[in-house]
Amino acid sequence: MAKDATGNGAQFDPMGSWRQMRDGYLDVWAKTMVETVNTEAYAKATGSMMDAYLAVSSPFRDAVEKAMLQALQQLSMPSRVDFIGLAERLTNLEMRLDDMDAKLDRIEGLFSKPATAARRPAAAPPTTPANQNRVRRGPRDSRRKRTK
Amino acid sequence: MADASVIEPIANMQRLITFNKVVTSKVPIAQTPKQMVWALNKAKLYRYVPMVPAEQRHPVPLLLVFAVMNRPYIIDLRPGHSYVEYMVKKGYDVYLLDWGCPGPEDKNMDFGDYTLEYLPRAIRKLKAVSKVEEFSMLGWCIGAIIATAYAALRPDDGLRNLILLTAPLDFSDKQAITFARWTAEPNFDVDKVLQTFGNMPAEMIDYGAKALKPVENYVGNFLRLWDNLDDPKVVEAWQAMNTWVTDNIPMAGATFRQLVVDLYRNDRLMKGEWMLRGERVDVGKIRANLLTVIAEGDHITPPCQSRAIMGKVSSKDKELFSIPGGHIGIMAGSGASKVTWPHIEGWLGPRSC
Repeated sequence: MAKDATGNGAQFDPMGSWRQMRDGYLDVWAKTMVETVNTEAYAKATGSMMDAYLAVSSPFRDAVEKAMLQALQQLSMPSRVDFIGLAERLTNLEMRLDDMDAKLDRIEGLFSKPATAARRPAAAPPTTPANQNRVRRGPRDSRRKRTK
Repeated sequence: MADASVIEPIANMQRLITFNKVVTSKVPIAQTPKQMVWALNKAKLYRYVPMVPAEQRHPVPLLLVFAVMNRPYIIDLRPGHSYVEYMVKKGYDVYLLDWGCPGPEDKNMDFGDYTLEYLPRAIRKLKAVSKVEEFSMLGWCIGAIIATAYAALRPDDGLRNLILLTAPLDFSDKQAITFARWTAEPNFDVDKVLQTFGNMPAEMIDYGAKALKPVENYVGNFLRLWDNLDDPKVVEAWQAMNTWVTDNIPMAGATFRQLVVDLYRNDRLMKGEWMLRGERVDVGKIRANLLTVIAEGDHITPPCQSRAIMGKVSSKDKELFSIPGGHIGIMAGSGASKVTWPHIEGWLGPRSC
């Protein structure tokens, strides 16, 4: 930015008018584009592009996956599927640990209840998460089966 | 004296180098001190280190639940411009539930898992750590869907105050919701996408969010930086926001499928037909004090998506707060600390005693 030659402190920006024009143009462009992406035609076009991309890329993706699986098997190395299975087992273990943690907290709470009961805010006793977890084990197991 | 015709191109070149450096580098964010108190799979529960003596703190802790397809540190962007820091300084015991980045093994995780498996466990830990029976919960964007579903399915679990920020709950007005048009059945084959990728790729989610306002996101945003490259405050804020915007994570496949099929296409939540793990989500069962915050200029969650909940809940104490601004701007923009944060704090304070 250049200082005004008169020295009165006012600044003269030679790019100011250009910038104003640019911002005005951008505003118009932005509004037009927002209207465009809101049309049914745009939604259809992006959907078609996505379909085309998936149709073209899927065979390559499958081929690479198969080749990689074979290569890893040849090298006696674990594949992506093995790691996924392992990760699922770890998550289930973590859940069991969390259930145990909940039970320990409950036991701890029972022991310390007489001392802290007076201090705690009065509230309806909530359904304990540990109980909820027990009830929910069925669906969680079915989810685990689905993932395998 | 050096020739101006030589100096100017050099200055421009230096400017270009600085611009490139700002755009491509990341800055430290989420710096409010915290400690992890619980973890399960990728999810982590953090408790922020209190800055106020225990006797001056609000006894009801606040749990922050953010969306599942973005990093949650937008709530704690940078020192001096962090909602978390603001609330901790106001004497709240603040917890943040970070859902983490789903891997291929999480492709079958759905809203039922987030709402009825992970969230209750995190809440149990929160209660155990803070030694309380009641808590407040703030859900933002998709996090607000999870918070709403939880409040409806577990109304007796100690939730005293529920704050919903830009909550996409009502999907009935298809004309107003651009995502609804994009994900409508003839245009978008969600099963084919998930069959190919497992989870919804982060790049696609990012494109979807940016394409709603393509000129602002792909051109205007960078021009604003170029124009203000000499202003360190603007550069610092821009860089922090850019660090968050470019740090995207995928969305678990089953969750994305539910979002598209159950919510965007069939509006099952507001119709009272949404089923999570065999339980019907009835928002009429929500009894917690409710504050719904709407961003008037929100293009991701148009205001019409957050209003209907007010007439459906059983809460006696409820408020709808509408403010000018965008989906992220109302909480992370320059005006957030003057309008949004004080209003939320002002509402929550008397209800957290």
